[in-house]
Amino acid sequence: MNIDFAPELEAFRREVADFFASAPTPAIREAGRKTTSVFAPFKECMEWHRILYDQGWVAPHWPKDYGGTGWSVEQRFIFAEEYRKADLPPLLPQSLGMVGPLLIDLGTQAQKDLYLPRILSGQDFWAQGYSEPNSGSDLASLSCRADADGDDYIINGSKIWTTYAHHANRMFMLVRTSNEGKKQQGITFLLLDRMDYPGMVVRPIVGLDGFPEQCEVFFDNVRVPQSGRVGAENDGWSVAKHLLKHERGGSGGASPALTRYCERARAAAAQTPSPFGGMLADDPVFQRDVGELEADIASLGHFEKLAISGHEVAQDPAFPSMNKTINSELIQRASTLMMQVSGVDSLARQLEALRVGSNVEPLGSEFDLVAMPLYLNSRATTIYAGSNEVQRDLIARSMASSGAGA
Amino acid sequence: MDFNYTEEQQMLRDSVGKYLEKNYDFDARQKIVRSHAPWSPDVWQQFAEMGLLALPFSQERGGLGGSVTDCVAFAELFGRHLVTEPFTHSVMLAGAALAAADGTDAQAWLHKLIAGEAVIAFAYEEGHGTPSLDLVTMTAQKSGECYAVFGEKRLVVAGGDAQALVVVARMGEGGAPALFLVEAGAEGIQTRAYPTIDGRSTANIRFDGVRAVLLTGADQQLDRILANAIIVQCAEAVGAMGALVTLTSEYAMTRKQFGMPIAGFQAVAHRLADMKIAYGKARATLIYTTALAESGASGPRDIAILKGQTGKLGRAIGEAAIQTHGGVGMTDELSVSHYHKHLLACDAMFGDHSYHFRKVGQG
Ligand SMILES: Cc1cc2nc3c(=O)[nH]c(=O)nc-3n(C[C@H](O)[C@H](O)[C@H](O)COP(=O)(O)OP(=O)(O)OC[C@H]3O[C@@H](n4cnc5c(N)ncnc54)[C@H](O)[C@@H]3O)c2cc1C
Repeated sequence: MNIDFAPELEAFRREVADFFASAPTPAIREAGRKTTSVFAPFKECMEWHRILYDQGWVAPHWPKDYGGTGWSVEQRFIFAEEYRKADLPPLLPQSLGMVGPLLIDLGTQAQKDLYLPRILSGQDFWAQGYSEPNSGSDLASLSCRADADGDDYIINGSKIWTTYAHHANRMFMLVRTSNEGKKQQGITFLLLDRMDYPGMVVRPIVGLDGFPEQCEVFFDNVRVPQSGRVGAENDGWSVAKHLLKHERGGSGGASPALTRYCERARAAAAQTPSPFGGMLADDPVFQRDVGELEADIASLGHFEKLAISGHEVAQDPAFPSMNKTINSELIQRASTLMMQVSGVDSLARQLEALRVGSNVEPLGSEFDLVAMPLYLNSRATTIYAGSNEVQRDLIARSMASSGAGA
Repeated sequence: MDFNYTEEQQMLRDSVGKYLEKNYDFDARQKIVRSHAPWSPDVWQQFAEMGLLALPFSQERGGLGGSVTDCVAFAELFGRHLVTEPFTHSVMLAGAALAAADGTDAQAWLHKLIAGEAVIAFAYEEGHGTPSLDLVTMTAQKSGECYAVFGEKRLVVAGGDAQALVVVARMGEGGAPALFLVEAGAEGIQTRAYPTIDGRSTANIRFDGVRAVLLTGADQQLDRILANAIIVQCAEAVGAMGALVTLTSEYAMTRKQFGMPIAGFQAVAHRLADMKIAYGKARATLIYTTALAESGASGPRDIAILKGQTGKLGRAIGEAAIQTHGGVGMTDELSVSHYHKHLLACDAMFGDHSYHFRKVGQG
């Protein structure tokens, strides 16, 4: 065992920090501070994406041949830590974290040539069209149909909860191409090269925080080319399972972002009087609460570092579900703490002040502005990407099938 | 001992319930919230006609001499319907302060409030949940016949729309808290109105030497007034919790995944059971504490237990309701998230559960 604290790493940290200090525009910084979801404000987020692309740093987790950075595990973590310290908007996961890596593994040469450069450069943004009104946790029951017709498929049905479909110019989706056999067997994985096909309608859904983030997407006899298929017809379920590996393993893990939430809560608590005298940051009850949370976040960070370094924790079949369960619940706890620190000052509905570039002055601090929307939005973390109930089932099932608990 | 509503209270509950069922379903409520008006003047007028705005005040003050239990009886329904009209703040707080005071100004305003002709706000909160009177820092100085008040109040429910305000301020720096009447248009007031996450109209208000009339005698009753208002607010929260338990179990019984209703999965079933248990605890505590208060036997510890439990259990029920609904629970379109936001607001106002549990622990 050993932890590498090579002096080069400190130089690397400085290089990254310097870049983050100079490269983002004020609007990008503002978007970062006003990010109240895993999905940052779209426009500024993509501007930042393009700046990182120019720097060659947009996809640290991609293979070097495809535009990755070739960094070591330590470097990737340093990058993620500095990123969060600078409060920059996190890049959107759908293109860089999902469909990109999938195409690298399973796409045709033509698909790779066409799409990968545009994903890297940020010219394209992809939406993920899996869930349907009647098929959420039970995704394999999906019924949005694609019927083969010459070189095309004709799609009928609908998708729901499609994040940022109203911003996307492309979409990857699962469709039903057969009703024979097991429900997993008749699914096909399709790439839609545009979102404005005749017969396709995107309707944004307003969320509990007041912002449209997810969408409903309707298909009425939408004709798309079969060349957009990934893998074989009716083999889309295994393609989607392959993608899942990428979906659940981010580049630097979730712990740097969580640590940052705690720092922000501490900073706000230092400015907030405690009803029991002094400042909240000095209040033993607050210190215990934030301490317990930080300890849990530290453990997640250790778990993530072990995994990225190739330790056997990551080979455990339960690993992705454990990782998702831990980090989603910590996001909820951290945002709950932020909301509690903000107290009644988090109760104002300030949609306009939250908009990037708004000239409406927030009622309290910037912390008060984001605490509640962040709390509300993070109720989703235990629902999406496989709900935590489903994850716990998967963990338990893997324990039962391996016969050994730990 | 009898913890049931009396026949009269049940009748009141029935008639308020019928009115709300007919005029205040979720769609109607959302229309009010989305309109540019802070709340519905029609609904407020109906409350006046039903006598709700007069209920808690003694007959000699022009009221109906109702008890806190009477108010709890229908406040639960307010919670169930997510009523955004400022009953607790305008009637239970501002109105009660006016009723507790001597002087003709106070009585004139109370009269207007009872008739539904004026809404009066209660300017108490100064940020971060001002859970105890000790934390009020606003001050009043004698100025001729009257007083001048200085400082800032936050999250004043109806503060931007009320015709008058009852302001809690200290008699000089470090002095005892007292109550003052301020007219909304008075010089030196600076108001910034805004909506809350749960659809209520509130304001932050700066007072820069604003002319204020002392509400003589009201300070003696302030603890009782606050306690009663907290009970009524908790009743609203408990009503919202009950609605969430019903809605969520109905949803879980009808939503199918993997070929069966999700209520059939043990993880979901146990969560529903926990929601029911939480609601059972909160409602029992509400009813018992209300009965205590009506008998004049409730102390600060009882109120702290009620407020703490309602805040904690309310948030737990709201979070469980969203989780059980999955994606649709996250939308603005369903009532689920609106109940949850109301419960969050009820928790944060007048001190959150963590504050009140500590008070209980301090003995
Ligand atoms: C913010 C957000 C963003 C999203 N983005 C996307 C996107 O970009 N693309 C996309 O395709 N989808 C997206 N989704 C959809 C997401 O994947 C689904 O919400 C999720 O799969 C759950 O499905 P559901 O909402 O239909 O809930 P349901 O499946 O109906 O679940 C409701 C409840 O029942 C529980 N439950 C269900 N089955 C079981 C079981 N077997 N055992 C125990 N409990 C069970 C669930 O855990 C949940 O608590 C997003 C969702 C959210 C909230």
